[in-house]
Amino acid sequence: MLKMTHLQKVYRTHLIETHALRDFSIHVREGEFVAVTGPSGSGKTTFLNIAGLLEEFSGGEFLLDGVNVSGLNDNARSKLRNEKIGFIFQSFNLIPDLNLFDNVDVPLRYRGFGAAERKKRIEESLTRVGLASRMKHYPSELSGGQQQRVAIARALAGSPRLLLADEPTGNLDSLMARGVLELLEEINRQGTTIVMVTHDPELAARAQRNVHVIDGQVTDFDEAPRLREVAAGNADRGSGAESGRAVGAMD
Amino acid sequence: MELRPILSALMRSKVSMILIGVQVALTLAIVCNALFIIGQRLDHMRRPSGVNESDTFLFSSSGFGHGFDPRATIREDLAVLAHMPGVASVSTTNSVPMSGGGWGEGLSLKPQQKTSTTQTTIYMVNEKGLGTFGSKLIAGRDFKPEEVADLEAGDTLRPPVIIVTQAVADKMFPGENAIGKQVYLSENPPASTIIGIVERTQQPWMSSDTVENSTFVPGYMPYGNSSRYLVRTEPGRRDEVIAQVEKKLSESNSSRIIGKIRTMEDVRRDAYAGDRAMSIILGAVIVALLTITALGIVGMASFWVAQRTRQIGTRRALGASKKDILRYFQTENFIITTFGLLVGAVLAYAFSLWMMQSYQSPRLPWYYVPIGFVCLWALGQLAVLGPALRASRVPPAVATRSV
Repeated sequence: MLKMTHLQKVYRTHLIETHALRDFSIHVREGEFVAVTGPSGSGKTTFLNIAGLLEEFSGGEFLLDGVNVSGLNDNARSKLRNEKIGFIFQSFNLIPDLNLFDNVDVPLRYRGFGAAERKKRIEESLTRVGLASRMKHYPSELSGGQQQRVAIARALAGSPRLLLADEPTGNLDSLMARGVLELLEEINRQGTTIVMVTHDPELAARAQRNVHVIDGQVTDFDEAPRLREVAAGNADRGSGAESGRAVGAMD
Repeated sequence: MELRPILSALMRSKVSMILIGVQVALTLAIVCNALFIIGQRLDHMRRPSGVNESDTFLFSSSGFGHGFDPRATIREDLAVLAHMPGVASVSTTNSVPMSGGGWGEGLSLKPQQKTSTTQTTIYMVNEKGLGTFGSKLIAGRDFKPEEVADLEAGDTLRPPVIIVTQAVADKMFPGENAIGKQVYLSENPPASTIIGIVERTQQPWMSSDTVENSTFVPGYMPYGNSSRYLVRTEPGRRDEVIAQVEKKLSESNSSRIIGKIRTMEDVRRDAYAGDRAMSIILGAVIVALLTITALGIVGMASFWVAQRTRQIGTRRALGASKKDILRYFQTENFIITTFGLLVGAVLAYAFSLWMMQSYQSPRLPWYYVPIGFVCLWALGQLAVLGPALRASRVPPAVATRSV
């Protein structure tokens, strides 16, 4: 579904060159639920931005659903993003002046669906997140958890192959976070690939696979049970010293 | 088109929409009416006077001292002027078109008629008068030298023959040939016979309802020691003749003062100074209004782009192309402008109605408002283009940046 090989991302100013990602390789298979963890500044968001075609990369290769995205122009990237990827943001990023129906409608309009098709998809996805009865409400009239559910409905409405979630529970209390996570798990069970960036080891433990990023490199990968063990009581592994330099193994 | 969601979003920030909409509405209402007034003024200013303006000038001569003989001086002056190189024709006259001052009379079909049939201005000229004015004789004949009378100031005019403009002929004898017909100046007998008709010669008063009602009377009427001359030169020699006039006349008779020489172009410029000033002021108001409106749109759109950077990034992340973002802001501007223009159209016609009732102004032609619509739509799109392009350059990665 998503395959990055020896990816580089360098931010350059006239004085400084910052390597946000270096020799970054990852392979996320169809239907997987992968959590990407790491400390602040480790490159998680840069990875997510590149994975979501929000940023370009400096070197390496990136295949998204078999499409080599290097050299795609802005229009092609927008189209690919719209068709293949659903985004869930930490701050929900709902448009405050649009009601729920219109918020979910945003990516569908860019997709070029007809009005009837859009209406059907919006109703289905809002029903899926349990908010069909509040279509005419505005985001400010909802709780944080409900807003994130709307964001998930918006991400799902276009039937994306890949869902990218950036700290999806970061702004929610634990009860709401649990609800959102359960929803994501259900979506994943129904076949959508999910890549979730998070600081929260407990959250990461719910994923099938965990990828740890430090200083722009994948330093560790693991299956969920082991991470659950870490989350249960052990200290954060920090630099990932016990990791097995497992880039190749991941693939 | 995202019309409905954009409109729905706008309805939640009504104040901004109303502010810009009202600005657009007032701009349309004022600009349409101001342009119409300017158009009227320009039409007014472009009316032909019927005089050869480019080659004609006039001046007055005022004699002084005992023994000054105005009639003899006029005869001498006419002879001197007629023989100057470059002079084509010269006549005395009491007034000229557009000058603002002259002699007005009523014209009647019958003696002792209670109300004159029409009003006319009187130009007292000699047998060269029509040629000097440059008035085109379209029927009948010109004055003969023997018909030119010596008149005294204060005389009641009883000219045996007159030449009238087509406008006077049409008014006095609609559908008939006016040549040979008799009319009464100020309802007093004896009657004057119309011997000629000229195409057009305006009155001195530009705001008159009967601006082309003029009558030529053959005669001199000096006012004390003063007389006024109109001189037409050969084409292109006017300034050359003007430079010599004072010298030549002073050589002929130094006991008088030659007044300021004014070309007919000067006379026209002075006659329409008010119209010109009004047009310039209204033009400046139009430019200022359009500029303020455009800047208002730029300011508001720039504010919205800055305010919605995250939202734009989110839209981009959700699949909007740069073109989609550009179109979003252009559509938003189109909606606001259209709202303003619809209100403005009503205001424009209401303002025109008020002008009609208060100042007898003509009705604003219907096509001004649609043309105004197109121009202000274009202005709005142009004004929003900069901020919209800026918005389209917002990178999609903004969506994932923490605030």
